[in-house]
Amino acid sequence: MKHVSFFARTTAATLLCLPLAFSAALAENALTIAVKQDRYSVDPEKFTFTTRRPAAQIVETAVKPDENFLPAPLLFQDWDYADGTYTVTLREGVTFSDGTPLNADSTIAALKLYDTGKSDFLQIDQDSFEKLGEYQISFASETGSALVIENMTHRGTSLFGPSEDRAANPVGTGPYLLESYDPNQQITVVRNEAYWGDAPYVDQLTFRFIADDNARLLALQNGEIDIIGEVTPQMLLSMPQDGSVVLHESRPIRYVAMMTNINGEAPFDIMQDRQVREALAWAIDRETIASVLYAGRGEPAKGILPGWMFNLGDTHTDGFGYDTAKAADLLEAAGWTLGSDGIREKDGRKLTLRLVAAYPNVSTVKPMPEMLEQMFADVGVDIDLVEVDDSGVYGSTYLDTGEADLYLEFASNNNTDPTYLLNNLFTTTTPWGGYKFFAPGAHVDALLSDGRKAQTRDEVIEKVRAAHRAIVQDDLVAIPILMVPNFALSRPGVDVPMSEYADWIDYGNVTMVNQ
Amino acid sequence: MLRFILIRLAVAVPTLLGMSVVAFAIVAIAPGDPVMMELRALGVVPKPEDIAALRAEYGLDQPFLLRYLDWLGRAVQLDLGTSIATGRSVVTEIAMRLPATLSLAVSALIGAVLVSVVFGVCALSRNRGVAACMRGLTILLVSIPSFWLALLFIYLFVLTIGWGRLVSDGTWSDLILPALTLGLGAGASLGRVVYERIRAELSEDHIRLAIAKGLAPRRILISHIAPRIVGPLATAWANTFGALLGGVVIVESIFGWPGLGQLILQAIAQRDFPVIQAYLVFMGLIFFTMSILADIVVFFTDPQLRRTLSDD
Repeated sequence: MKHVSFFARTTAATLLCLPLAFSAALAENALTIAVKQDRYSVDPEKFTFTTRRPAAQIVETAVKPDENFLPAPLLFQDWDYADGTYTVTLREGVTFSDGTPLNADSTIAALKLYDTGKSDFLQIDQDSFEKLGEYQISFASETGSALVIENMTHRGTSLFGPSEDRAANPVGTGPYLLESYDPNQQITVVRNEAYWGDAPYVDQLTFRFIADDNARLLALQNGEIDIIGEVTPQMLLSMPQDGSVVLHESRPIRYVAMMTNINGEAPFDIMQDRQVREALAWAIDRETIASVLYAGRGEPAKGILPGWMFNLGDTHTDGFGYDTAKAADLLEAAGWTLGSDGIREKDGRKLTLRLVAAYPNVSTVKPMPEMLEQMFADVGVDIDLVEVDDSGVYGSTYLDTGEADLYLEFASNNNTDPTYLLNNLFTTTTPWGGYKFFAPGAHVDALLSDGRKAQTRDEVIEKVRAAHRAIVQDDLVAIPILMVPNFALSRPGVDVPMSEYADWIDYGNVTMVNQ
Repeated sequence: MLRFILIRLAVAVPTLLGMSVVAFAIVAIAPGDPVMMELRALGVVPKPEDIAALRAEYGLDQPFLLRYLDWLGRAVQLDLGTSIATGRSVVTEIAMRLPATLSLAVSALIGAVLVSVVFGVCALSRNRGVAACMRGLTILLVSIPSFWLALLFIYLFVLTIGWGRLVSDGTWSDLILPALTLGLGAGASLGRVVYERIRAELSEDHIRLAIAKGLAPRRILISHIAPRIVGPLATAWANTFGALLGGVVIVESIFGWPGLGQLILQAIAQRDFPVIQAYLVFMGLIFFTMSILADIVVFFTDPQLRRTLSDD
């Protein structure tokens, strides 16, 4: 009887503990990711704004970027471009979360939604859609562009299924379904059991919106979140080195470069002299800067586009080493002679340059501005350093007015269109206002315009290579400094499959190891 | 009393109008274009007509005066526009966040009032050591910036002892640390007011008489001093409440408290003009409301004022 009683007690205790064991097991497959802000916007008129990180788990794009940022099949199985027309074969067996099959009709309807938004950058001719079969469609670009499929790798072009309220009930083909949304606090998605592709590893993803950088880092250290998806350089500086926080990095994608005002008016006209620009390029000790910033993970840069991207390669640019003697010689040749106070002069004018640091804010490049100031002082260049911590001030006060000589920027080509960055930053027709001050002129305009009109990908890349070389080498309007990876932080035991493109980090396939 | 309130409300109209002009102007002249910032962040390649359409949608293509009048016309109907960042109505954005901020500010105010009474009374202690200690502590707490105190509390109570958490979801237990952070500094400041008012009252004849009659200090404090200092203290509490609403911006951000502070920080970063304008006006409105409430308290606690207004 005693044995029976013991057995009964053990069995009862085991049964009572079972739910706890299951909840522990389930908890292993739930992940909390901290991101800076809530981008899950709800306005249907601007729904391209809704498809960033969290919502990207619910809806999918037609194609995804491969490891070199080239479009790879996702919802589009394959495609062809000829004579200005795209012919697309859709993946069969895919359904939206409401049961609607992904076919020619639903795909055309989804793509047509983009014409209703005011930031339509697919620019598809709305009258050109044709249903060629149950799983085949065709369409044309309204601008004759051969890059429409490339543009579809942007998360902002994800395909939505029909829904009365896209915010409350987003219908997509993605691996997750919306579980709950608490505006400005968190969004939770759960695994879509009917997902057409490989099931993700993680059952539930919760994205917490934590605006403060320190709070995100402390929450990770305190075990309240598992991953930080948006890591600022300051967080890398204050990251504990005791192993309690693990750094994950992609290949270098972001550039730090100094843009030069070559179209400015006096007194901001010194950089019109290419010799001065080249002198500054040789005066920068990139190795030292790389060792100090970004946890030492940055690399000295030869350009502003990484060589792996679009298969550009890195042989089309030469880059600049660190050679202060050469920098001094170039400045002498340009007529800038060393004054008694150590600052160079020419015709009674001091070689003082205003450096605005930085886009998007000075915190992202600290303490690089001070390091550059010192390096330039070593070759007799005086820097009037303006530090701004707000991209609005950077843009309106200094960039749009052209009231500086040098502009430090920390950014990336966050678009899979190879012409995107160069076209927006270095053409005289740039949509970004003040960037016209960096435009080398008609030859680069023509290269990029031809690139956007080119009808084969090889031709596009050839034009981009030529424009890139002009910008960072021959005309040298952008002085490359560093290439920096995309970062994530996690608690120990979490393996994050990184992507250079933050929107494409596959949180669903994060693997976790018990510590 | 009614006339008093009506006069105060009449004065409020030009004040609020002026406030709205200032709020609108500050935002209008602030550098930064929300449309361009959003489009660049998204990696969109816009056509000039796309940019123009977005600017027209947000009314950014209109001159200042037209934009202001249009905004004012809608604001009086409680339509404060649509958030550029989220697409939700600004009223909805504020309504979602207001309860959290109000609960934090009210909790902090209650804490501050309690702290101020303790500090103020103890600073008058006959024990010179206690009095000096309380005065020193008051100066220390007034001098410490709230963000520093917040980080100290996080280190002590969250990271070291494990009593709290950083990822707040707005539950009451998450309120303790941010309320304490805000309340201690404000309480110390109010403590100085309590201390000064009690000291002033102690030199009054009726208090000297009470002391001479041998009344217990506690009874003198509660029955004779407290009723006379409630009016001036109410004004200080109203001002403190307004200051706390402003102070929550940093504390909410550090503790992840989902209130208006976080909303305005994000709105400023994204140049979400409609939200910033509404926030500024709304804060002014709260200051103004608190000021009226304080006046009403003073009205009821100051017999001389009541007599003067009755005579008028």
